[in-house]
Amino acid sequence: MTATETNSEMEEFEPNIIGFLCNWCSYAGADLAGTSRIQYPPNIKIIKVMCSGRVNPMYVVNALQQGADGVLIGGCHPGDCHYQHGNLLARRRMAILKNLLEFIGIDSRRVRMTWVSAAEGRKFAEVIKEVTEEIKKIGPMKDIQRVNEW
Amino acid sequence: MVDQQLLIDEVKKVVSRDDVKYVIGYKKGTTGFTISPAFAYSTEYADKFIFNPLCKKNLAAYPLLEDKLPLKREEKEDKRKIGIVAKGCDTRALVQIIQEKGLNREDLVIIGIPCSGVIDYKKITAMFPNETAYSTIEEEQGFYKITINGKVHEIAKEELLADHCTSCIAPNPVIYDVLIGEEVEPWDLEEHKNLDVLEEKDVGERWEYWKEHFDRCIRCYACREACPLCYCKECMADLLNPQWIRRSVNLSENTAWNIMRAYHLAGRCVGCGECESVCPVNIPLMELNKEIEKDVKNIFEYSAGMDSEEKPLFGTFRPDDPEEFIM
Amino acid sequence: MENLILQKDKLPELIEKLSSNHVLYGPTEENGFSLFKQISNFDELNLKYLLTRVPPKSLIFKQTETLFKFTPGRKGTVTSTEINEEKSLIFAIRPCDARSFKILDPVFEGNFEDPFYISKRKNTVLIGLTCNSPERNCFCTSFDDSPGSTENVDILFTDLDDRFYVEVVTEKGKNLIKSVEDIFEKSTKNDEDSKRNIVTKSVESITRKMDLDGLVPKLDKMFDHELWHNTAQKCIGCGICTYLCPTCHCFDMQDESSLREGARIRVWDSCMYPEYTQHASGHNPRAIRMSRVRNRVYHKFSYFPKNEDITACTGCGRCIDYCPVNIDIIDVIEEVGVISNE
Repeated sequence: MTATETNSEMEEFEPNIIGFLCNWCSYAGADLAGTSRIQYPPNIKIIKVMCSGRVNPMYVVNALQQGADGVLIGGCHPGDCHYQHGNLLARRRMAILKNLLEFIGIDSRRVRMTWVSAAEGRKFAEVIKEVTEEIKKIGPMKDIQRVNEW
Repeated sequence: MVDQQLLIDEVKKVVSRDDVKYVIGYKKGTTGFTISPAFAYSTEYADKFIFNPLCKKNLAAYPLLEDKLPLKREEKEDKRKIGIVAKGCDTRALVQIIQEKGLNREDLVIIGIPCSGVIDYKKITAMFPNETAYSTIEEEQGFYKITINGKVHEIAKEELLADHCTSCIAPNPVIYDVLIGEEVEPWDLEEHKNLDVLEEKDVGERWEYWKEHFDRCIRCYACREACPLCYCKECMADLLNPQWIRRSVNLSENTAWNIMRAYHLAGRCVGCGECESVCPVNIPLMELNKEIEKDVKNIFEYSAGMDSEEKPLFGTFRPDDPEEFIM
Repeated sequence: MENLILQKDKLPELIEKLSSNHVLYGPTEENGFSLFKQISNFDELNLKYLLTRVPPKSLIFKQTETLFKFTPGRKGTVTSTEINEEKSLIFAIRPCDARSFKILDPVFEGNFEDPFYISKRKNTVLIGLTCNSPERNCFCTSFDDSPGSTENVDILFTDLDDRFYVEVVTEKGKNLIKSVEDIFEKSTKNDEDSKRNIVTKSVESITRKMDLDGLVPKLDKMFDHELWHNTAQKCIGCGICTYLCPTCHCFDMQDESSLREGARIRVWDSCMYPEYTQHASGHNPRAIRMSRVRNRVYHKFSYFPKNEDITACTGCGRCIDYCPVNIDIIDVIEEVGVISNE
């Protein structure tokens, strides 16, 4: 495969990114980005959860199995969690999950976490941009994707 | 070396207590180098108890496995204590279960055994594939002396030692009611076999490595059943709604299972090596567990099963937990 | 057909020829143990080990099998899975493992015919390999089987150091040999004697024995005996004994679907798991390990012989070898004998 071919293939690749955003901050931040008409890549598909602490690591693995190329978890800034410290528990979990995925051979950059408050529409758009760019570079997630052998 | 008579005497003492139901320990197995878990309800039975370097099985799973039949009318629940013969890693498992409130410390009588490492059953059977019995096995200054049919074989310890023992942080029981013999000197810790090699590979190479192993998994879940810490009433792998992991056996589902098994033991795995030793298709599960154990130690300065008063790793946080990966 | 000789240096040629028109499965070395895998050349083959870790039943009765596919909705469809008629061949299957199919046949070819199993069974030629040195937990002789038995294979190879003694047993075997006849040589009386000697030596080296005499009525009398409680107390319910058993055949059926399509699949199951008998209501008739351990023994040594006239055990010893808590089936049956003699 020549370099140009690779490039053109990469350009065509539009990643699927699943965003688990917390109801109170990140989701509201995404909302603000929308109402403020800030442009961001359409690659992200958002699933609202009540708190980033609600994100079971299995959600992440299942998303990667079912066609997501990346997963973004959005929570409130430390101290702002509406459930006091759900985001801080999530932070611990994701730190270990990312390391485990990396160790198994799944690029840990596919799993990202961010703090976005309800007022940070612009930051939200930037995060999405950055994540999308990065996952485009990494390429599609094929390794553990569910193949329905039937 | 554990004094067998001392152990038997101690077990007898414990089992004859009125508030003790039975004592769990080890006895010689039926064939080859097998060891069988033993349950002493009487002092006579205690005579069968042994402890030697082959006693690798972590008995900490048994108090939680007890079959509980529905009570008959006017029958009262037997709330007597359970005695248990426990090595360092076994007591760590007990501590961890107590910490998670799976067991009460008061319900256990722990007969602690200082352990200087155990023999990997797979290694010793590979060395003596057709031996049907051994008479004694002793450890002496870096050697195992194995007597088979009157012939003594001297084998260097590292040839038979179970891999996970080299990085054991608790050769001596963490908690106990009685200790058999003297505490052993902790040894210089080594990193778990193969971890450094794997860490140096790049992501793609590591996936190739694990892919081969996960592809072979037959999803018998023996790793889960053997693990003393896998005691959930209903495992997420068995749930049907939502079905986290499909039942079909293929690379994707096998990987999901293995990620989740390892992850659910993050900060809980005590490194006893049960999962790896029961795996019928030799998946190096301890490499996953040890890697997580290392991360947990490095990032959160936490070791599972050392202090029953401590809060579980994922049930707590520190404001200054590292967050350089957060955007 | 008379028996033949295959020089060992001709084996690669044989493997190559057979794998060109068959899916050829043979024992390969995998991370320190043996496993049946599809092979296409001799180098992949490893005959060092006696038994493969996972028994060859997995090649005929697959761990995961798709029964049919469906699409949901008002216009939903159901499509049956095409039956695979591929010709395949299992090379170096041990006589005990070959015998397991004799036990599985009545299950899948009896009252209910399973097309998946039947087609694979019909299209698979079993090439056996005599066991020259049985392992410590082998006890096939307890079932009137022998390490050199030709009873359940199509062709049997016996390793005579520099050559293989080849016995062609069935029509299927004959047809297969015909296609590669030129690499075989004629055998002599001498070769037959050498095989007999090897088998005699093998039989002598089998130390373990299970006493099956009157076992069914014995078991009938002790369903409620405390032996089962004592045995089950150390069981951790890991299910290795059933997954690695060449005769265990229980399965579970589930629907797997994505949004637009789905399939009903069949996967191995094990009676050692509590979910195995769990009812939808939540009630579990085998709620405790005692009843599950007991069921495993009864199914193999009482129910199955009653229904199909054959004990559902081949004496391969895998469950004894790999049980992490040393539940030794020979020992259990021995105790049954002792208790019923009391």
